Amino acid sequence: MGKVILEVRELTTKYVTRFREDVYAVDHVSLKVEEGKSLGIAGESGCGKSTLALSLMGYYFPPLHYISGDIIIDGRNISGMKPDDVRKSILGREIAYIPQAAMNALNPTQKVIHFIEDVVQAHDPTKSKKEIYEMARTLFETVGLPASVLQKYSVELSGGMKQRTVIAVAVILGPKVLIADEPSSALDVTSQKMVIKMLRDLMESGFIKAMIFITHELPLLYNVTDDIMVMYAGQIVEKGTAREAVFDPLHPYAKGLMGSIIVPEEGLRSARLTAIPGVPPNLKNPPPGCRFADRCKYVRPECRVASVPMREVGEGRMYRCVLSEKELREAYQNG
Amino acid sequence: MKGYWKYFLNKLGWFVITFIFAFVLNFTLPRLMPGDPVAAIVSRLAQGMSNATGVQAIYQQYAELFGTNRPMHEQFFIYVRNVFRGDFGFSFSQYPRPVAEVLGASIWWTIALQFPAILVGWIIGNTLGALAAYLKGGFDKVLMPVSIFVSNFPPFGMAVILLAVFGVTLKWFPIAGGYGFDLIPSFSWNFIWSVFVHYQLPFWSIVLIAIGGQAIGMRSMAIYELNADYVKFSRFMGIKDRKIIGYVFRNAMLPQITGLALSIGTMVGGALVAEIVFSYPGLGYTLMNGVMGQDYPLISAATLIITIMVLTANFVIEILYGIIDPRIKAAQSEQ
Amino acid sequence: MKHTLRQVFRSGKFLFGFSIFVGLLLIVIIYPLLVPDDPLRIIGQGTFFPPGIYVNTYDSVNAATKYTLNLPEADVRRIESRLKQEDRLAMREWLTAAGIPESEIDIEDTERLLTLWNNNFDPKKSIPGMTNARRNYFIRLNNALKGLATSGDLILASKQAESGTLEETGIIKDTDYVNVSEVANVRVLVLGTDNFGRDMLTELVTATRVSLQIGFVAGLIATLIGLTLGLLAGYVGGLVDDIIMFFTNLFTVIPGFVLLILISYSIGQEQRGAFTVATVIGFTSWVWTTRAVRAQVVSLRNRDHVNLSKLSGHSIPHIILHDILPYIASYVVMALILQISSGILAEAGLSILGLGPKTTEVPTLGLMMRWAMIYQAHIQGNWWAYLPVLVTIALITFSMNLMNTGLDQVFNPALRD
Repeated sequence: MGKVILEVRELTTKYVTRFREDVYAVDHVSLKVEEGKSLGIAGESGCGKSTLALSLMGYYFPPLHYISGDIIIDGRNISGMKPDDVRKSILGREIAYIPQAAMNALNPTQKVIHFIEDVVQAHDPTKSKKEIYEMARTLFETVGLPASVLQKYSVELSGGMKQRTVIAVAVILGPKVLIADEPSSALDVTSQKMVIKMLRDLMESGFIKAMIFITHELPLLYNVTDDIMVMYAGQIVEKGTAREAVFDPLHPYAKGLMGSIIVPEEGLRSARLTAIPGVPPNLKNPPPGCRFADRCKYVRPECRVASVPMREVGEGRMYRCVLSEKELREAYQNG
Repeated sequence: MKGYWKYFLNKLGWFVITFIFAFVLNFTLPRLMPGDPVAAIVSRLAQGMSNATGVQAIYQQYAELFGTNRPMHEQFFIYVRNVFRGDFGFSFSQYPRPVAEVLGASIWWTIALQFPAILVGWIIGNTLGALAAYLKGGFDKVLMPVSIFVSNFPPFGMAVILLAVFGVTLKWFPIAGGYGFDLIPSFSWNFIWSVFVHYQLPFWSIVLIAIGGQAIGMRSMAIYELNADYVKFSRFMGIKDRKIIGYVFRNAMLPQITGLALSIGTMVGGALVAEIVFSYPGLGYTLMNGVMGQDYPLISAATLIITIMVLTANFVIEILYGIIDPRIKAAQSEQ
Repeated sequence: MKHTLRQVFRSGKFLFGFSIFVGLLLIVIIYPLLVPDDPLRIIGQGTFFPPGIYVNTYDSVNAATKYTLNLPEADVRRIESRLKQEDRLAMREWLTAAGIPESEIDIEDTERLLTLWNNNFDPKKSIPGMTNARRNYFIRLNNALKGLATSGDLILASKQAESGTLEETGIIKDTDYVNVSEVANVRVLVLGTDNFGRDMLTELVTATRVSLQIGFVAGLIATLIGLTLGLLAGYVGGLVDDIIMFFTNLFTVIPGFVLLILISYSIGQEQRGAFTVATVIGFTSWVWTTRAVRAQVVSLRNRDHVNLSKLSGHSIPHIILHDILPYIASYVVMALILQISSGILAEAGLSILGLGPKTTEVPTLGLMMRWAMIYQAHIQGNWWAYLPVLVTIALITFSMNLMNTGLDQVFNPALRD
């Protein structure tokens, strides 16, 4: 087992809506990512995976609020730190974030290099513009982007180029952990491949030490990440290696999710295509028991009584269900 | 810079086209109406003036100057020639003063009143709107309904109320004219002070109306920008909030500039009516006197000058906008 | 549809604006049923009678029953209402000059002021720096004040037809009262009269109706033109689009107000009925609707359901009617509301310039404003002649804008915050 780079313990955060309602979009989430590893987070839209990505940064602004839990990056707990210290010494330096719609992630009226100057000087005001330019040029060339991009406005860049520029800017300060929220979903296939390759290269060269990759596209996760977590209604319901989570899911929701996709991938093609009926529960008022109970084929009365804990089966393999592994496998066999 | 030139030439072309078109409209519209324009003028003259020989003299002079008894196209060229000489004929109602002289006296009052007022209103309105979007809460809750109400108030209504409150009731400011009735225009302190005091009420009535509309526009633009992805990305890259607010307001301000260009015609129209309320010696008041005195040459020339003023202001704003917004240059040079 | 309507009516802003608007409409409809007077009828001889209850003096004197009421403050009140502001100021001037500390003089408190005056005024007292003429003025003032205080009975007399001599027919004491409900002629002028002596309230209600009609006609014309041009430009595209957009861009920068002035003037005062003015306003304000509709149609043009309809061989009118119009309906309604309120403002602006509807047929809000301005109601402090008009205009446009904001929030949830 390698060194743990990112550890999250029982992290809970909430959204406050316009109508002052609390939405618990991240509910007691724990995870660990080791050096050199990548973790994928999958789930339907609205399951809380994007909120989780935001919450992992340890830097909260309305409507998102921190409630409890710890975030430990390379042995340093950032949860108790003052927001301005987090901003100064953690964001961009220890952990970096690539937003969902990277298309609009660059200020449209600012040249790329000026944004980089602002980013670098926000952490180290003593750096001169010349040093920053050299730094940026070297980085851009290493990741295969032309240095001319630095002098451009985002409107002048194509979609794929923009996304890769955002990634390059995100890692300019050499963060240990990179969190990518749907970094490739709005792109065409070629650009998607280039973006994925860029992320992989960053990992392989050791430039970033760990990565969390969030997407609703399961086949992509299977190809890119080492481990996969499945989220449902703000909670983690399944965790395992990419192979386990995709080919041998235990939780009924994960099972349904894997069955609801068409994947041109060996072994997956034979899987039957099944949609999960129903909608996720309203997180303003989550049900007391299992949150998937209303949509679950194998629901039992005890499912609805109290919250269901995670069960651990084997090294790093977990799922959240009242049924045992054996019972679940039997149920799946019988259809 | 090439991109900007393209933009500039495009806008210049538009300026010329709209100018020609407005010119043609100004010439044709009054002549398109049913009935003989010459006869109509004569009948109106007979109503408006008591001096019979004066009527005859003006009629002769008018027919000569504008060639009203010749074919339409010849009339047009005579009109063009006269206008470019600055010769708009004699004013019917203020005979024997030439129209050019009557308007020459009032145009500067209008320019000195309206453009500073619109500009100040625009600046204050945008600042307030930006603050409302950023501070939210109580400030927003008070400012917005007030702005909506004020911007729905007819411009002349604001003028009347200011006049009744600050001019008639409180007697802080004079209620009519551009300077004291007992003064002769000169460069004395007395005269300048009188002009300054008379300036206040018309000025603020235009400013207040402009503030309302601009604040509403700026607020929604700023809210839109505050939720933009680049804000989130900049925050997570550790950039200070103050700097991000700078990005946001700059970007929200830019569309407001084009908004100003588009609405300046309406604003000038409203401000002209406000001038009437204060008997301010500008174009609006002159126009009203022209209408009351059935003074066709005066009205025709005044509308032409107002159009030229608005078109020019519009052109200048768009040219400035092209310099300020980098996207214009980028978009133009890509084509 | 039903669902959308319910959502619309759940929006607080829309509901608020809608209630104001419906309230105005109800007044406009119901008031003429209760008070069927001709709004342009001149009832007052003189200009700008202030709001109040007008009791006929002739009928009061001849009222059937006279009542005697002994009210303690009656005298003071009587003097108070007859003591003019300039007299009070003059009294203060003399008193301060005579050495009474200014803090003791309160010119608003009539009783104390009079006592102070009666105790101190001495016509023989010479005050340094006062001219003879001024001294005589104060003596006259003193005599007048004495006249105010001593109230005697009034004698009613009538002239005899034959001899021409006066014959006493009755006495009116200062304690005589009549009951207003027993007086034959009492007229309540809630908003007083205007410069011509017309009942402001009746006129205002009619003017509101006419202005709303003008706004509606203007808005309808502008919206119809804008909708047609926008649909053509957006859906047909190509050369048609280029031509329409060329003219739209032209009229965006050429101020509509100027066109309005030119056309209205050219039509001439006699031909300018309210309906004509509305039409002219409509024909000069279609630009924004055209732009908005076109932008919407362009974004709809290549949607799947429109393509499907095209592939199914539907005609262009069919596609526009079934696949495009329903999607832009909300925008069109919002544009219409906006056009109505700006039409009302445009009429008001034109009327103030003197280019509004002719003044002999119907009142409009703009014409009322113009009359108030010309007769300088705002300078003379006759607030009832212009303030109610302004408030009405502001209420109309404000309510419509609120409705629009409400609709916008329902149909464009992204802008909700």
